[in-house]
Parts: sequence; C-alpha cells; structure tokens
Amino acid sequence: MANRLQQIEEGVRFIQEKIQLKPDIGLILGSGLGVLAEEIENPIIIDFHDIPHFPPSTVAGHEGRLVVGTLGGKSVIAMQGRIHYYEGYTMSQVVFPVYVMKGLGISSLIVTNACGGINRGFQAGDLMVIEDHLNLTGDHPLIGPNMEIFGPRFPDMSRAYHPEYRELAKRKAVELGFTLQEGVYAGISGPAYSTPTELIMLARFGADAVGMSTVPEVIAAAHAGLKVLGISCVTDKAVGEELEPLSHEQVMEMALQARPRFISLVKALLPEVH
Amino acid sequence: MKLADKMNEVQQLIESRTQVKPTIGLILGSGLGVLADEISDAVRIPYEEIPHFPVSTVEGHQGQLVIGQLNGKHVVAMQGRFHFYEGYSLEQVTFPIRMMKAMGVQTLIITNASGGINMDYQPGDLMMIKDHINLTGRNPLIGPNEDAFGVRFPDMSTAYDPDYRELAHKVAKQNGIDVQDGVYVGLTGPTYETPAEIRMLRILGADAVGMSTVPEVIVARHAGIRVLGISCISNMAAGILPQPLSHAEVMETAEKVKTTFLRLMRGIIEEL
Repeated sequence: MANRLQQIEEGVRFIQEKIQLKPDIGLILGSGLGVLAEEIENPIIIDFHDIPHFPPSTVAGHEGRLVVGTLGGKSVIAMQGRIHYYEGYTMSQVVFPVYVMKGLGISSLIVTNACGGINRGFQAGDLMVIEDHLNLTGDHPLIGPNMEIFGPRFPDMSRAYHPEYRELAKRKAVELGFTLQEGVYAGISGPAYSTPTELIMLARFGADAVGMSTVPEVIAAAHAGLKVLGISCVTDKAVGEELEPLSHEQVMEMALQARPRFISLVKALLPEVH
Repeated sequence: MKLADKMNEVQQLIESRTQVKPTIGLILGSGLGVLADEISDAVRIPYEEIPHFPVSTVEGHQGQLVIGQLNGKHVVAMQGRFHFYEGYSLEQVTFPIRMMKAMGVQTLIITNASGGINMDYQPGDLMMIKDHINLTGRNPLIGPNEDAFGVRFPDMSTAYDPDYRELAHKVAKQNGIDVQDGVYVGLTGPTYETPAEIRMLRILGADAVGMSTVPEVIVARHAGIRVLGISCISNMAAGILPQPLSHAEVMETAEKVKTTFLRLMRGIIEEL
C-alpha cells in the first residue's frame, strides 16, 4: 500500500510540474465524448503514457490524455479517454487516475459514459443523469489495505451521486430545452455486450442503463470524498425482448449525435458546480 | 506446501499449547468478540504465532484464537476474522475453518454484523441465518479439490443446519429473546451498498447483507462441519433511512445488543 500511495504521489507531482492552476473539477470523458476536452481554454495536454504509473488507454475512440485548463470559468482537469477493467487492468489501476486527480486538488468529479438503454422509455441518443448504480462487475476497487489518507475503510454509498448536482443537471437541461433522463446505471465488466436474457435480468434488478465503466471510478470518488455527477449517453436500446445486433461503430455514431447536447449541458452546468 | 501438511504444522502447534479437544468452533464478528472473554481455562494463541495464518494488515487488529470451556463445552473461538476485502485470498480467509476441522470441530457457530434489508427488521435485531446468497463473485473452493477434506461438488441445500436453527429459535424463546430468521447475502465490500443495490438484493430474496460468513460457511460445509449462523442487524441498509452508514454505528449497535447476544450464545452452546 505504501507503494500505491507513493505511485499516486509521483503521478500527482509529475502533473503539478506541468500545470499552473489547481483544478477544482475532474472530468472523465467516455466513448465519443472526449471532444469536450477540445473546448478547454489555455489547455495543457499530458499523454497518459508520460505520467508515471498511469495505465494507458487502449480503446478506439479514447484519446488517452489529460487536458488541464479552464472551462465554464472553472479550473478543470479532463481525462480524454479512460481506463477500463476489460482491457485487463486491475481495479486498482482503473481508479488510479481518480486518486491522482484528488491529489491534484479536485473536489468534484463529472463522469460520463456511453451506455445501453434498458428502460423502455429511453431512446438511442438520450442523455441520462445517473441517479445511482449497481456494481455488477464482480470486483471492487477498494479490496486490499485501505488508504486511510484518502478515506474510511467502509465508505458510505448512500448518496454516491450528489443529489444537488443531479438537480442542477436536470434544471440546465430544461433551460436548454431537451429531455434529460434519470436512472440507475448497472456496471458490468464487459467486454461482451449483454445477452437478451442478461438485459431482462438487469431490468428486473432495477437497472435503467448498462455499461462497462464508471462504477469503479465512482466508488473510488466516494471513498475520496468527491462530489460526483454522472452523465450517460444512451447509444443503443438494450431491451432484452427486442435486442438487435450492436457494434462499437453504432455506439460511436449515436455518441456523435448526442454530442452537441452533451457539450452544451456540461458547459451550462459547470459554472454552478461548487 | 499441501494443505494437509500445513494442517499438520498447525495441529502440532495447538497440541503443544493445550490438551483441550474443542468440538465447537466460534467465529465472532464485528463487535461480538466479547464472547471469547467468557471462555474459562482459556489458552490464547495470537494469530501471528500460528503457522500459515494470514498476517493481519489491519492496524490495532488483536486477532487471537481462544481455546477453553464455555457452558460445559470445549470450544475454540476466533476473536477477529479475515475478510476478503482486506486483500486476502479466499484460501487465506477460510484457512481457520480448515484448522478447526483438523482440531476436531464438528459444529461451527458463525456470527457477523449485517445491514438489514428486510423492512420488518430493526437495528439490534438478531437474525438466525436460514440460507445465504454468494454474491462475492468468487468461491473459496475454486482450484484442485482436496479430496481428503471434502467432495468436489459440495451440497449446499441445507448449509445452515435445520436442527440447529430450530434449537436456536427454541433457546431464544426460552430466554424471551425475539429473533428474526432470514437470508444473508455476502458481498465483498468494503464499501457499503448503494440504495439501488439494496433494492436489487431485496428482489433477489435477501434479508440482510454483509461482507463475511459466506466463504467460511462454504468451506465448513465442504469439510462436513454443521453450521449455525447468527447475524446482528447493526444498521438498516442504504436508502432505507435518511442517513449515511458508518462503521461506528455498527460497533455501537453491537455494543447495545451484547448482553442479549451473550445470553443467547451461552444458551445455545449449552444445549448443543
């Protein structure tokens, strides 16, 4: 564990030497949503693979770099691309960037992802604010000795997605004039998409959407005392009874369509993230 | 080293410390370790002195084995247990069960602190475990089967011994203690669950949720040990009450229920 703390510290120090400002808000940009980082003003760009101990991202559509600067009047640090469990990284590696961002000084984290819509009321292209999650990855990022310096041994998860941020996102969507869904995100390991029967099961479990990220990062964020806002882009309908074949290209295409709304929503709410 | 050889070394150590041949094993969960203090003619062996026992990573963890007499029975109690979330392998987590079997234990009373999912439960309730759901994502018996210890495919249809449950309910009644009877779901932790997860677990048929017990009971059943499980509902699970969950709350409730718990445990052990 001493080793892990040291690795986080080395990551933090490396980034601190390259940036002038202290970021307040972290952004993790999911599949097809990384373009938001291009709107960051006075950006300092750092590739994941240059940062000590930072696992590189291997997925198409994920750039794999940090962009630090200002957006919506806030000091932000954005991950353009993220680390997924299915790539073969340990959970501890998957959440490494969250602790590094915490070490850099963020107090809020906006996590975004592409997901399948289980709720029959959702359409491909919808945006959803995450109300809560189900950890169905079969693993947990905090297994092992606790890093007391970041948080308690048994973190509370009863308000993992900050209620005020959820309200803020819904209010901004209304102002911008588009529908924002709200629901429970089920996190699975992937990389296979779900079978129809699995989707029916997830629906019975109370899931509104399903994806392969976010849950480990939000657990680490809750551990570290960060306030979290989660925004999902529903890229496909994942209703078990009506499932059609799905490819990553389709996911990227729908993310592209939702992108303008996603960007306007995040830019509109950032000034009010405290 | 093979499991059987490790067991021989453990057995030698224990036999060098005590003549007592315990038949009842006790695993005492969060805040419930106090029962081990009531064991008479006790021999205490700190975990670090036991060969192949996991080395504790938890600060202030005073794990020890207590062997002696309780209500006329020879018992071995674990004061402090190993949890998967601490980073141990499941083989390490369940090693003490193998050890108890080697010592001659035929009955295991396993206790824990859990979160109440069933809306009829109150913090401080004691629940007889009638069955469990393994949602740890793992099984402690994965790997080559140790045929000398048990079968490849252990039956779990009566993991929690029906006769013991009946006995425990009878003793509770005699002592005027109200107890629940429910299904324990085991997760890895170490976070508490989200409210959405608790709703899911309720749909799955769980009455209480915790981060222990399930691997130990699987290995006990593999070894042919009869099991009684008692859970202390230390708090209501996430999303039921408008307040965050904390370990302090778990310990406070265990403290409050201590007297009742001790009375029930002593009564059961006497009747076994």
